Amino acid sequence: MNSSFTLNRRQWLRRSACGFGALALQDIAHAAASPLAARASLFPPKAKRVIFLFMQGGPSQLDLFDPKEYIRSKHGQPIDSPLSKNLLQVGTERFLALGAVAPVRPRGQSGVPISDLMPHLAGVADELCLLRGMNADNPQHAPAELQFHTGTLNDVRPSMGAWISYGLGTENRNLPSFVTIHPKSDVRYYGSAFLPAVHQGTKLTVPLRPEMSPVENLRNVSASEAVQRERLDLTQRLNHRLAARLQGDSAMQGMIEAMELAFRMQTTTPEIVDLSRESKATLDLYGVGGKSTDRNGRACLLARKLSESGVRFVQVTMGGWDHHSDVRANLPRLCAETDQPAAALLTDLKARGLLDDTLVLWSGEFGRTPWSQDLSGTAPIDTHGREHQPESFCAWMAGGGVKRGLAYGETDELGYRVTAGKVHLHDLHATILHLLGLDHTRLTWRHLGRDYRLTDVFGEVVREIIA
Amino acid sequence: MGGSARKKVMKLALTFLAALLAAPLAVLHAGEPDTRRFEARVLPVLRKRCYTCHSHEKGIRGGLALDSRRGWEAGGDHGPAIRPGDPGKSLLIQAVRQAGSELRMPPGGKLPPGEIAILEQWVREGAHDPRVATGGRAAPRLDIEAGRKHWAYRPVRDPRPPAVQEAGWARDDLDRFVLARLEQASLRPQPDADRYTWLRRVSLDLTGLPPTQAEINGFVADRSDQAFEKVAERLLRSRAFGERWARHWLDLTGYADQIGTSNNVFAEHAWRYRDYLIESFHTDKPFDRFLREQIAGDLLPYQSPEERAANITATGFLVLGDVEIVNPDKLKMETDLIDQQVSKVGLVFMGQTLGCARCHDHKFDPIGLADYYAVAGMFRSTEATHKIPYGIWSGIHLTDLPETPQQVRERRDREAAHQQRVGRLEAEKALLRKEQTALASRTSGPGAGNDGSAGKRDEIAARLKKLATEIEHAEFFKPTVPKAFAVRDAAQPGDMKICVRGNPYALGASVPRGVVRVAAWGSTPPIPAGQSGRLQLAGWLADNRNPLTARVAVNRIWQKLFGEGLVRSVDYFGIRGERPTHPELLDHLASRFMREGWSHKRLLRALVLSRTYRMGSGPNPAAARVDPDNRLLWRMNRQRLDAEALRDAMLVASGELKSGGGGPSLPLEYVENTGLLQPKGVNPPTFSLNRVRPEQDFQRTIYLPIVRAAQPAPARLRDVFDFTQPAQMAGRRAQTVVPTQALFLLNNELLRRRGAGLATALGETLTDRTARLEALWLRVLNRPITPAELADAGAFLDRLESPPGSAGSPPAGPPAAWLELCHALLSSNEFLFRL
Repeated sequence: MNSSFTLNRRQWLRRSACGFGALALQDIAHAAASPLAARASLFPPKAKRVIFLFMQGGPSQLDLFDPKEYIRSKHGQPIDSPLSKNLLQVGTERFLALGAVAPVRPRGQSGVPISDLMPHLAGVADELCLLRGMNADNPQHAPAELQFHTGTLNDVRPSMGAWISYGLGTENRNLPSFVTIHPKSDVRYYGSAFLPAVHQGTKLTVPLRPEMSPVENLRNVSASEAVQRERLDLTQRLNHRLAARLQGDSAMQGMIEAMELAFRMQTTTPEIVDLSRESKATLDLYGVGGKSTDRNGRACLLARKLSESGVRFVQVTMGGWDHHSDVRANLPRLCAETDQPAAALLTDLKARGLLDDTLVLWSGEFGRTPWSQDLSGTAPIDTHGREHQPESFCAWMAGGGVKRGLAYGETDELGYRVTAGKVHLHDLHATILHLLGLDHTRLTWRHLGRDYRLTDVFGEVVREIIA
Repeated sequence: MGGSARKKVMKLALTFLAALLAAPLAVLHAGEPDTRRFEARVLPVLRKRCYTCHSHEKGIRGGLALDSRRGWEAGGDHGPAIRPGDPGKSLLIQAVRQAGSELRMPPGGKLPPGEIAILEQWVREGAHDPRVATGGRAAPRLDIEAGRKHWAYRPVRDPRPPAVQEAGWARDDLDRFVLARLEQASLRPQPDADRYTWLRRVSLDLTGLPPTQAEINGFVADRSDQAFEKVAERLLRSRAFGERWARHWLDLTGYADQIGTSNNVFAEHAWRYRDYLIESFHTDKPFDRFLREQIAGDLLPYQSPEERAANITATGFLVLGDVEIVNPDKLKMETDLIDQQVSKVGLVFMGQTLGCARCHDHKFDPIGLADYYAVAGMFRSTEATHKIPYGIWSGIHLTDLPETPQQVRERRDREAAHQQRVGRLEAEKALLRKEQTALASRTSGPGAGNDGSAGKRDEIAARLKKLATEIEHAEFFKPTVPKAFAVRDAAQPGDMKICVRGNPYALGASVPRGVVRVAAWGSTPPIPAGQSGRLQLAGWLADNRNPLTARVAVNRIWQKLFGEGLVRSVDYFGIRGERPTHPELLDHLASRFMREGWSHKRLLRALVLSRTYRMGSGPNPAAARVDPDNRLLWRMNRQRLDAEALRDAMLVASGELKSGGGGPSLPLEYVENTGLLQPKGVNPPTFSLNRVRPEQDFQRTIYLPIVRAAQPAPARLRDVFDFTQPAQMAGRRAQTVVPTQALFLLNNELLRRRGAGLATALGETLTDRTARLEALWLRVLNRPITPAELADAGAFLDRLESPPGSAGSPPAGPPAAWLELCHALLSSNEFLFRL
């Protein structure tokens, strides 16, 4: 054990402006090196950090990026079901084609197809690498989301951000390496599972009002900060006495440090999430203050700030895409909430010279069927929705070493099966790690005798999309 | 796992796989085409296109090496890669053709047609291959006989306790095993812990609750020879013991009060399994019997309705994990559930990762596909789920439990009460309807509503709507015979076919049901016709000759008491697992456990009364230099309280713990906690925990509802303090230190409320400050306060207490200074850890 190093690490923890939430401290006495120290990639990375915009619920790819002439021509009429007879599906028994909600047109120089519902994204089309051959294994939210985040359909495995934190560490020791903004409640989506706890995601809420707390238990419950400090001093005095009696205990020492960190976080964390010093132009760019864009605009702006400060993996979850009914009314609403913030993120990153080494990923856990779903059985076609579809869906990437202005992958005339350029989730994971300079087959952790990976035993790097 | 449409290749592969399982590969062909042609045409293609991923030099992806004949003969995970003479049935050719299958090689794109033709021709002509393997690893072959040499598969012995120099130190034979190792390393055991420390330790370890003031005073005053024994006896006899050890077991099951993870579907009968566990540990049900009930309780004979009900409920073990019941592909869903059950039985009872052999022979351990499917066949022959009328959903089987005459009477009473209640609600509804009709005439037409009748009308409409919900809710949850989530034998049990790469549509050879060969002795127990074989599997596991069961069980028990297992990888005894630090002690405990009737309590009594358990956890720098990880057990390991113990200990300290509990965890009796109860819908009825019962804030944590996503309010600390996630099966909790825990301790309402309860309790009984402080330390840290602490606490109170007569009327509740003091203590390390 290197005691001088230990001291240094304690010093930085004391000095650190904010290590809000994710820094695990159990390693302090043992660590030969901080588990969060920035680590070199295995080979030269194209991207240094990732921002993942998670469109929870499953956006309709046919409406947004991959329209089908055949479906348009058959709108409201029955089509042949391509479903395997092993699969149950309800509300789709009549198999009626459901044409796109709005026109999808080629955009920019590159002609990447984007719906009229996403005018902001259309404006940055030439930055996009559109993946039209996405493929996942399960059509239900919970397992599909779990697979997107951890590579597995059930069980408890480390999340993508945790693997990346483990692989690369953090660029800024005052910040956690993995932050997740507005996540869904399942802790597995940002958990570290069997990886060291230091790699778990820090859950963050962007406060829309001053009384909202960005992280849980941040609000002092004592009458004043002075009283709270008195209380903490007494706790720590007891802790130090016990530590002296035991001549040290790494777990207890970790808690002593963590208590001090927690105390400081009460002031530093609100500073981190404070957007009041951003320029009006920036706030407007993201739609902060906008009726439908305020929440996501703030979240995306914060994601840029955190990413710029060196957080390896920032996730922003924007839910509400689960349109089983009335996709014509619901999809425009969701686009209005998310289009401007997401496009602004690309514009802003580019303006700051960050887009080249920041990989932005936009995706839902699956897509939606080209045929309609109507659970009532009696609704008119134009109020129908769409069922979940993992067989094919669209995602896009930008920056971070992927090709610009590329539409990669194709689906059949229905928009059901991938016919070229298939990117399974495992392939996507492998490619993200590759862009970060990590080999998905070598980024492993031994657990129950086995070397586990984000990609399990699957995954191929999609070289065709790498710039 | 992977994609699903690999059928074609799967069906081809299965033939080879079956052949491989049945017999060693025969010499493949007799023709001898030209070696030079192979080297000139075929080898360059292989080198250029395949070696990057399939050679000893560059890597062996998917277990397949193509740099020698033996490599493709043995094949990789999919089985042999080439069938000489038959390109159509050769996986390698299928893969490079990239037609219709998901096994497409090479990954970057398709080979030029010419190269494919070369390979096809080569295979068609017999795949002449002169290359012999040059070093590197040979294709791994399952060798079960060799595998038996691994320590965990050898029979359990009953070693004689070793001779030790300091024989007086040992209180139990087990101490001699520990001391002998220490003496070999010239280490001395740590002096005994003081009585306060031991009492807190043993109370928390056996019951998950700290001692009360009265218990502390009683034990310290008892100078009799039996003082320690009396404490152990009292703790083991308490219901709290059952509650504590049932929770340890739940960690191995993935239990939640929820079915699967999707949509918050309530498992409103799951609590019966939890209560069954508490009762089983409380009554010290022998572990071999307990095991049989977990796997095959429904098949066991019984003497009484209670016994039958317990037997059926026990099989909840097999179905109360994170079962994905909303898979639209029902065959796949069932196959995945079978996998979960095989993995669970392997991990829980055998410390083996059987699931690794679902798609191929285990990579490290002597466990083959055949072993996996032998056990899986028993679960294939067992019904656990069925399609329910909601959308694409399935449900877990519910079995009616036999009732005792008293239960029948109680149910009839509840049914009568229910009828009365519904009658009242219906009567009210009828009355309101009448009023509504009467009002309707007045609220329509000219000048309507001016008399205030419009308000009345809205009120009635709202009440009617609420009534409809209440009636629907009451009918949905009307009293029934008790039910449990349980399994039963299928109508047509039978062997299972290998699912190639786990794909249930790509079936290989049928594997006779049986047990895991490497741990077996003699012949496999025969399975009577018409039965699943679960009973035989349980009998095999519970047999004294099984090398794994007792070792795995006693090692987990040891780990709960001593912080680390004798085998530190408590859930994995395979080749890559940790080796026992004290192999003879492990066998001593395992054989003793079996000899003494598989009794948890007898083993635990011996363990907690041992000298080893009594050691202090203090420092010894010399020993720490030699053995920093304390592998030789020169001291007791300190442990942080787990989430349940932490919350429960706060309740004991504040005196607010409510005894009792049991019964349904989810407060589904509140209408606001249920959504969508109508019988027709795409999704089944769900819950959302908007309201908990008032008493649930004060009951032991094991009785609180468990949800797979975020934990409900009274149990939120589960999410912060390393609760085993209810999708997981794990015999050991993580112990992390993260700032979210510190923030919780600093500011969470839970500490505030327990602190307030504690301060109030102290203020109610004692007026003298010193007496209060003495009581506080006994309640929270379970030891007397020291003079230095007395001074610290006194100074703290002086600073925080407002000077007399200064402020106005004091706020309600306990004095702020005492609340802060109690909070400070509840967040101290000495409270968080047991020494």
